[in-house]
Amino acid sequence: MGRTYLVVTFGVGLGALNTGNNLLYLVLGLLLSVIILSGVLSERCLKDLSVRRIGTEGAFAGEPFAFRWGITRKRGHAFALTLSEVDSPLTGEGGVGYLPAGAEHVVRADLTAPRRGPVKLSGVRVTTTWPLGLFAKTRVFALEGTLLVYPRRGFACEDPLDAAVGHVGEANNPRRMDGTGDMAGLKELGEHEDARRVHWMKSASAGKLLKVEREREERRTFILDVKTGLAGDVLERRCEEVAAQAHRLLEAGHEVGLELPGTRLRPGAGSGQERGILRALAWLGFEEQREEAA
Amino acid sequence: MTRPNRLRLILRDLGTGAAFASMAVSGQLPIWALGLFAVALVVALTGRRPFSRLPRLTAVLLVPLAGALYLAVASGRMDLVVAACSFAGLVAGQRLLSETSPSTDGQVLLAGLLMVAGGAALSGELFFAVCLMAFAVLASLSLGLAVVEAAVPVGEPVPVREVMRPLAKGTLFALLGAVAFFILFPRLNWNVGARRASPGLGTATSGFSDTVRLGGSGTLKSNPRVVLRATLAPDPGTEQLGAYWLGRTYDTFDGQEWSTIGAPKKRSRTRVTLRPGADKQVYQKVELLPAYGSRTLIALETPSKLGNALVHTSTGTRRTQLQELGGDELRFVVEGLGYSYEVYSVPPGTDTDPGKLEQLEHDQLLALPDNLDPRVTELARQVLGDEKDPLTAANKLSSWLQREYTYTLELGGDVTDPLTEFLFARKAGHCEHFATALTLLLRSQGFQARLATGFFGGERIGDEYILRAGDAHAWTHVLVPGRGFVTVDATPPAFRANQSLELLESLVSIYEAIESAWRSSVVDYSFRDQMNFVRDLTRPPRAPGDKKRLDLPPMRAWVTAVLVGVAVYQAWRYLSRRKPRTKALEATRFVDAVERQLAAVGVKPRDGETLEDVSARLTREAHPLAPAVSPLTRRYLEARFGQRALQPGESAQLLKGLKLAIAALPPEEKHQQKARA
Repeated sequence: MGRTYLVVTFGVGLGALNTGNNLLYLVLGLLLSVIILSGVLSERCLKDLSVRRIGTEGAFAGEPFAFRWGITRKRGHAFALTLSEVDSPLTGEGGVGYLPAGAEHVVRADLTAPRRGPVKLSGVRVTTTWPLGLFAKTRVFALEGTLLVYPRRGFACEDPLDAAVGHVGEANNPRRMDGTGDMAGLKELGEHEDARRVHWMKSASAGKLLKVEREREERRTFILDVKTGLAGDVLERRCEEVAAQAHRLLEAGHEVGLELPGTRLRPGAGSGQERGILRALAWLGFEEQREEAA
Repeated sequence: MTRPNRLRLILRDLGTGAAFASMAVSGQLPIWALGLFAVALVVALTGRRPFSRLPRLTAVLLVPLAGALYLAVASGRMDLVVAACSFAGLVAGQRLLSETSPSTDGQVLLAGLLMVAGGAALSGELFFAVCLMAFAVLASLSLGLAVVEAAVPVGEPVPVREVMRPLAKGTLFALLGAVAFFILFPRLNWNVGARRASPGLGTATSGFSDTVRLGGSGTLKSNPRVVLRATLAPDPGTEQLGAYWLGRTYDTFDGQEWSTIGAPKKRSRTRVTLRPGADKQVYQKVELLPAYGSRTLIALETPSKLGNALVHTSTGTRRTQLQELGGDELRFVVEGLGYSYEVYSVPPGTDTDPGKLEQLEHDQLLALPDNLDPRVTELARQVLGDEKDPLTAANKLSSWLQREYTYTLELGGDVTDPLTEFLFARKAGHCEHFATALTLLLRSQGFQARLATGFFGGERIGDEYILRAGDAHAWTHVLVPGRGFVTVDATPPAFRANQSLELLESLVSIYEAIESAWRSSVVDYSFRDQMNFVRDLTRPPRAPGDKKRLDLPPMRAWVTAVLVGVAVYQAWRYLSRRKPRTKALEATRFVDAVERQLAAVGVKPRDGETLEDVSARLTREAHPLAPAVSPLTRRYLEARFGQRALQPGESAQLLKGLKLAIAALPPEEKHQQKARA
């Protein structure tokens, strides 16, 4: 819009010079003073700002993730600020309409990273088009950091290999998939589930088939791996596949371990283990940067 | 749609309306363009956007309209600038009714900007300034809100109240900046495509055409716009002048229209003498205002000499020539926004030369229309009897018409024989009916007479007399042998002058005063005015009645100097705040002072030696200053690196101790130290 505005200003200026029409000079004066005012107010808007990076809970490649910055202004207020990461492959920006003095405002943005791995962050770009949206003024706040982007979330194409550690308790029986630990609760019997697990007395009183759930009844241990020698798209696909498998298995209550070239993650369960697996997968292939960051 | 959105859109739409109004006040846009835009604006203000479903189709509809406008321009039926302005209005209307989006908003406001520029090209009106200001304020507020709205995350409220105040302040500064720019920007003029400015708000009088059709509606009499200003010498000193101001005369009446048989003279002159002057002539300096809307010169009856005319155009003022036409009419050769000229007139009641009249023109003063109703002649004979003196006869007929007929502006449409209608049917009419009736009744009895048109009246404003459009009038000239043409007015005296409401006149007078100031200080602001402005600010004033300048500059020069000083200081403060210099630390200043004092007695640090090293050296050498320097060094290190800043006045106290120690040095020691140094 600013470019068109400048063209119009130039045209009006030519018209004023051409015709000597004082009213065109008046309009030209207004247009030029708006340009000056835009510059001064934008500059004032970006003064006395300090920015800190709060970051994100988890960034997955190829999908928007919530990213946050904390922005503060010591004196005076600022308007219409947009924040984004400078010189990084991250796309997206966050905005704040009104920033009063003194209080930190947390700006949230939905950023997107195109690929897995560590992303070096060098600074935060703060831009404003205040007051009239004609011209944008930008200031970059140098702020070093690293954002670790996890593999893209997707479906696992292959089932995991056989469990490294089988059922606890009785011998493994391919037809019997349930465990035999302590009783944990009752649950309605699902389709194709083993009818021998039905608690007949409770089912009779409830009027529907209820099965007995036992502790550790479905927990097994899997070791997922990424083979040495993979690179490029193949490596990416494998990382995504392992991440998806790990997610599915951990969700199902199993323990999952990870074997990577040069790295091994002991089997574990829960979201912490999943985070560890994702982190390890994210660094895979970027070990040099990891050493630098350390 | 959320509330802030609605407010922003209303501001945007109103701003666009103001931009269109800046063109519309020129009165040059075609009525269909006005109508279409007005409808679009009203619909948009109600919050409906009917074109949002068919954005492309409605945009494509503009193409045939553009084609039609092009054809109108190509065929000469429409001015190019007017066509462009009309099209800009249509585009703005189409965008107003389209779906709202950031790009649409931008397009609407850019179209508004173009329309404002078009308005500047079309109109010199005071209302243009109002529209420009309204557009600037409304568009700025709308744009500012849009910018903030775009930065606010979806679902969060837009801080309208917080935004409005700084926006309003910024807009005010922009307007002040525009004024400053306007005053100071050098007026360069390539003058390649200057346009004539418009006549102004409302209808101009345009009362002087080659013909006068009897029986017009006569609404001109209630038009209070000022069309002429004149300074008279000698000054009559009366509040109401009650004089006849002549524009032109007509000698031929065909039953419906008055015209003149005299052919225009091809030669143009800067000064024209119509008749020999009398001893005591009335000098007039006349200014015809844009509301006059005609090129015919006006002068107090009976004009003898006219000239030194200046034409005021949008590009400046320059001399112009006059052309003589039939009916004693003088016309400016070039068209302008307004005119100034000088006139000498013979005082009323003086015998005058009727001017050079050819035989044909003489005969025409007795000519009657072919289809004149015989009752007219009979009526004249009945009123006049066997009266032979033309002036007495004219006065008799005039008195009779004033007594027997009534004045009215309420007239119907065209009639076949307006004179018969007036004399025998309606028995009511306005000044043209009375003047025509008197003229033809006189002619029917063999007295030479003609119709004169111009203005009647003169209202004193300050040292000047003004005439309003409603003062337009018609009367009769009777040719009296030996005396020339004598004015006889058959219109009842109460209805001769302007008949607008007093309140309306007051309001229009205020408007005219503001508009006059607007024209003189804005529209006609020239490079010379700029130079005068700067010179007046800086040069000392002349003492009253003395050509010598005063020694001291005027108060305004001091005020200007102070203002400029404040502006420079503020700018310096702003810039120095932007790039703050690194302040020297208090501890560093302290160590510098210590080193200076030590250097004064020859104790200087060697290359790379710090104060700590110097102190250690002095201690090793058992120097008499070592006990004084040692605590200073410790304190400096604490202040510089130990985060225990020097207290106010502490450094002075410490330095005082060092000075005392130096002063206590034996003189021979001082000499040795200096010699060693």
